[in-house]
Amino acid sequence: MRHPLKPAETVGRRLSVMRCFAFGLFLSAVPTVATAQQPPTDAATYRVVLDRYCVVCHNERLQRGTLSLDGLRADQVGEHADVWEKVLQKLQTQSMPPPGRPRPEAAEYGRFSSWLATELDLAAAATPNPGRPTIHRLNRLEYTNAIRDLLGLEIDGGALLPGDDLAYGFDNNADMLTVAPGLLERYMSAARKIARLAVEDPSVEPDISRYAMSTLDVQDDRMSEDLPFGSRGGTAIRHHFPLDAEYVVSLSLAGNTREPQEIDVRLDGARLALLPVGRWPAESGREVASREADGTLSVRFPATAGTHVIGVSFVKRTSVVEGVAPARLPVWTFGTGRGFVERMALDSVDIGGPYSPDTIGGEARGAQDIDPRPHVFSCRPTSPADEGPCADEILGTLARRAYRRPVSDDDVRLLREFFAVGRRAGSFEAGIQRALEMMLVDPEFLFRLERDPAGTAPATAYRLSDVELASRLSFFLWSSIPDNELLAVAEAGRLGQPDVLEAQVRRMLADERSTVLMSSFGGQWLHLRRMRTVTPEVNAFPGFDDNLRDALVRETQLFLEDQFRDDRSVVDLLTADYTFVNERLARHYGIEGVYGSRFRRVTWTDEKRRGLLGHGSILTVTSLATRTSPVVRGKWVLENILGTPPPPPPPDVPELPDRVESGVVQSMRTRMEAHRANPVCASCHSRMDPLGFALEHFDAVGKWRDTEAQTPIDASGVLPDGTTFDGLPALRGVLFERRDEFVATVTDKLLTYALGRGIEYFDRPAIRAIVREAERDDYRWSSLILALVRSQPFQMRRSDS
Amino acid sequence: MIITKRALPRRTVLRGLGTAMALPLLDSMVPAFTALAQTEARPKPRLGVVYVPHGAVMNNWTPATQGAGFEFTPILQPLSAYRDHLTVLSGLDHAPGAQMPGDPAGGHGRITGAFLTGVHAKPTEGADFEAGRSMDQIAAATLGQHTQLGSLEVGIGLPDFAGACDAGFSCAYISTLSWSTPTTPLPMESSPRAVFERLFGDGTSTDPAARQERMTKDRSILDAVTEKLSRLQDGLGASDRAKLTDYLTAVRDIERRIARAEAEVDRELPLVDRPAAGTPTSFEEHVKVLFDLQVLAYQTDLTRVISFLMTPELTAQTYPQIGVPDPHHALSHHENNPESLAKLTKLGGYHTGLFAYYLDKLRATPDGDGSLLDQVMVLYGSGMSNSNLHNIQDLPILLAGGGAGQLRAGHHVRYAEGTPLTNLYLSLLDKLDVPVERFGDSTGRLQQLSDL
Repeated sequence: MRHPLKPAETVGRRLSVMRCFAFGLFLSAVPTVATAQQPPTDAATYRVVLDRYCVVCHNERLQRGTLSLDGLRADQVGEHADVWEKVLQKLQTQSMPPPGRPRPEAAEYGRFSSWLATELDLAAAATPNPGRPTIHRLNRLEYTNAIRDLLGLEIDGGALLPGDDLAYGFDNNADMLTVAPGLLERYMSAARKIARLAVEDPSVEPDISRYAMSTLDVQDDRMSEDLPFGSRGGTAIRHHFPLDAEYVVSLSLAGNTREPQEIDVRLDGARLALLPVGRWPAESGREVASREADGTLSVRFPATAGTHVIGVSFVKRTSVVEGVAPARLPVWTFGTGRGFVERMALDSVDIGGPYSPDTIGGEARGAQDIDPRPHVFSCRPTSPADEGPCADEILGTLARRAYRRPVSDDDVRLLREFFAVGRRAGSFEAGIQRALEMMLVDPEFLFRLERDPAGTAPATAYRLSDVELASRLSFFLWSSIPDNELLAVAEAGRLGQPDVLEAQVRRMLADERSTVLMSSFGGQWLHLRRMRTVTPEVNAFPGFDDNLRDALVRETQLFLEDQFRDDRSVVDLLTADYTFVNERLARHYGIEGVYGSRFRRVTWTDEKRRGLLGHGSILTVTSLATRTSPVVRGKWVLENILGTPPPPPPPDVPELPDRVESGVVQSMRTRMEAHRANPVCASCHSRMDPLGFALEHFDAVGKWRDTEAQTPIDASGVLPDGTTFDGLPALRGVLFERRDEFVATVTDKLLTYALGRGIEYFDRPAIRAIVREAERDDYRWSSLILALVRSQPFQMRRSDS
Repeated sequence: MIITKRALPRRTVLRGLGTAMALPLLDSMVPAFTALAQTEARPKPRLGVVYVPHGAVMNNWTPATQGAGFEFTPILQPLSAYRDHLTVLSGLDHAPGAQMPGDPAGGHGRITGAFLTGVHAKPTEGADFEAGRSMDQIAAATLGQHTQLGSLEVGIGLPDFAGACDAGFSCAYISTLSWSTPTTPLPMESSPRAVFERLFGDGTSTDPAARQERMTKDRSILDAVTEKLSRLQDGLGASDRAKLTDYLTAVRDIERRIARAEAEVDRELPLVDRPAAGTPTSFEEHVKVLFDLQVLAYQTDLTRVISFLMTPELTAQTYPQIGVPDPHHALSHHENNPESLAKLTKLGGYHTGLFAYYLDKLRATPDGDGSLLDQVMVLYGSGMSNSNLHNIQDLPILLAGGGAGQLRAGHHVRYAEGTPLTNLYLSLLDKLDVPVERFGDSTGRLQQLSDL
């Protein structure tokens, strides 16, 4: 008669009551059931369970795993929530007691786990600790997006600012976003350049930007949707042109440069020039350009201010349909780094300018330009008397967006001083430019500040202001500043209303700007960014070129975006029966009938490769340069799918046994089994390795294989709890059974990203609540994100202690 | 004083397209500089650090004999023309880079973080990373008082790692050599344009009046920022205030620089094309242009302390141009395979060959009574020796340059087993007139650097 009802239902009710008291906006996470209180004997009961099964090792004397459980009060779990959360994590993954040690029978084990979760949730609800992210400097991505949304300018953030270091897997960790001395100079310099572009400063000096092609790109196919049909190689570059003026595109070439070729140069899809290069037969009558990169292989053309696409490609001189011709592989040679069999290829493109801005009239402005000026100049003075009020309007409007809060007279006054200096030295535009230079290095632009309300007691949880919440939302969902609507709703004090908040979140998710969530969060969570630097060993994987590298990344990106836009269940990531491929990737996967560089959706007709774990990108980033690593793959799955990363290996790990023993080449599996014979190693490797073995049918670049070195692949594995499986389809089944752990892992990662801080033990109750709430809507992306946005750590902050 | 970009006639600019990244940046400016160099006879010691990852094949690095007249080994061979400006130092250990009890196994994550700090990097992947103030920054705090920039940090191929950099260690320990405080890693700049702008600013005019105007402008912005920062501090918590204080420190740093620049406004400066925006296509070109910029930084005396990470630990950089298409880190776990060792030796020689390019430029640049090479002290080396085992004993270390008369070069010295690398740092800091009592695990000064 210990459990009149299931503990989860109890907590649902009790939590919901408390939340309604604490802050009206929190919804109950679980349906409530009328019930009596739990009998007071539970704590004592489970204390006995703990003593019987756990304290044998985890006591003051032995301290196995530096964990001692004998002094803990089970009736006051809140006192040592950090320790209890560790216990709970072991229970939920059923990883303790270790294999071979006695365990409670399954039902009791489950009841203990549920009871502990409930107690921890109750303790947390009684004394909420939402954590305290420190001041957050905008990272490079956020800065770039903020400039786009504030001024309508597409800038190359990578050229203006240094990258950001990661912590807890993400590059938006507030503690890591420090200000080293050199960084402010970069910000000042960036502000000068951006302000110049924003007002189209006519005195801007000519400059050259170089866009280099990767030496591993095989330039045999049509490279981009932005390049013409029937082209091969080259590149399409989005470049910002600062003024209505003339510009010069200048090319340098690599590969076999004697081959007669024609290079097609385009501006926004319209041909600027067709340049013959290489040695043409005399009878062709063509004037032959020199290939030397001395500027002669260049095109000068007029362009309007704004962002345009420069397309450079070779005219494909073959009657064969795109994609059917056999691929050429990059062949390394001594000295040049490029294969002599390779065809002429583009090496780099320089875009120089602006030149002769005076000669270009304003009439050239095309409709498709992204014209930055309306973003800045919301009014134009028509007389000297207009200038003051107009400057106030422009600067006030921009400052509100830039500082993400209502502006004060002081804000405008300060900017007006800078305007006045610029105006005295030049035009009205020069005044705005000067004020912008200040605005963009203002600490309130560069930092996300959250302020403890006056009079808050130290170390107390308080609710963020609506305006602060608006910034949390926009930086989470858009990696950028709030737009007008979000800011207006927040300024009106309405963002705290649950229906308004939900409507705003849904609006923001539907907005194209939320795509960055999948590329930034998704790319970092799944380690996709590492695809840029992986280098499979050339001799082992001669087919790996940059076209494949790009295609692998693109596949996963498109898949994530599709799942997200379609508002699928997060669990679908593991099981989906479709993906996206272009011809290069289809060849890699052995899919027939896919031609050309365009990606399209394909449905898997068999079980082999379904879900994320069949993606070549993930299989590649979890491999070594020369071979697969079941350990790395297994660890990746534990970390990123199941959320139970193994502890780091102990020092003095013995080397793997020799590859050749008694004259026989040992398989990696055999060598690793020998390694696991050591019980210290086995405690982790028995969890990691089987997961990795299940993926052994995929080689180190994700290509299917039935054999390795003439030996059939063995993709079977046994988990510590006795679960057996063989290959990815069976592993998928295992992971699907454990989908609640997967959802909790995604939530953990998403919350880390949303808050810009590492997850602490006191966040665990919030994560459980988010998962419970999202479960009611089948773990759809929107339900997960909404539940997260409503959670304590997202809505609240702890005041300074 | 600062000349950034020639006001080139348009036709010249056009012809120069594509060659704006031309390597011999310096050649065009040396004549303009000679006069200046000759007027300043007082020697100015400078410190440089050049780091290469993954150790070296030691039997192809270490000369067989000690003292003068040693025979150049395959890896050191490219430096043979600089015998009179080289000291090869054998037998130095770097215990702070070793694996400590409780450390994660990854051998690379802690090496770079420990290299110049002499401190065992705290094992963490989180934001609570901590190493120590690095030796170059101790020098910079003093030497930097004479120059606009305290120090310059440059590096190539910095990680775009996802997840962790090395199991259990923060990326900060891999991506930089220089730490201004135990918790402030200084980012290393890899873009030639960005390095150029750090040295010379992003202005386009060489007219002193225009520069003066820009400095005034920057000042007014910095003043406004300072005022705003002090207002924002109110009502912030301690950790938040610390972050704004960092920002304020950066403001002061620039103000100091402007004050210095204003005092030197009449100084003659070279005419140099600024490098194109973007990254050079080849590794070799990239290294060379960054070496050019380092020479330029010393030559213009904009800084006297530079650290350079040629490539980081764990780099997957490949070198097909010399017949080593394998990713460097994977190759460095050579398992004593002769073919791998041969490739690593070739690679080691390639790196010293690039270093020779730097020494060549330094020697070609007049400074004081001689050349820049006579003035500098450049430490070249790696934080491990045998990369297969991540050994931190008997590291590949050498010193290049004359140290303004303080280095007695041309020798191979072998120190007693277990001599800390940090002893060398104490001696170097002495020679820079920035003496410190202890540094990391140091046990004393190194002998035989100048008093052979």
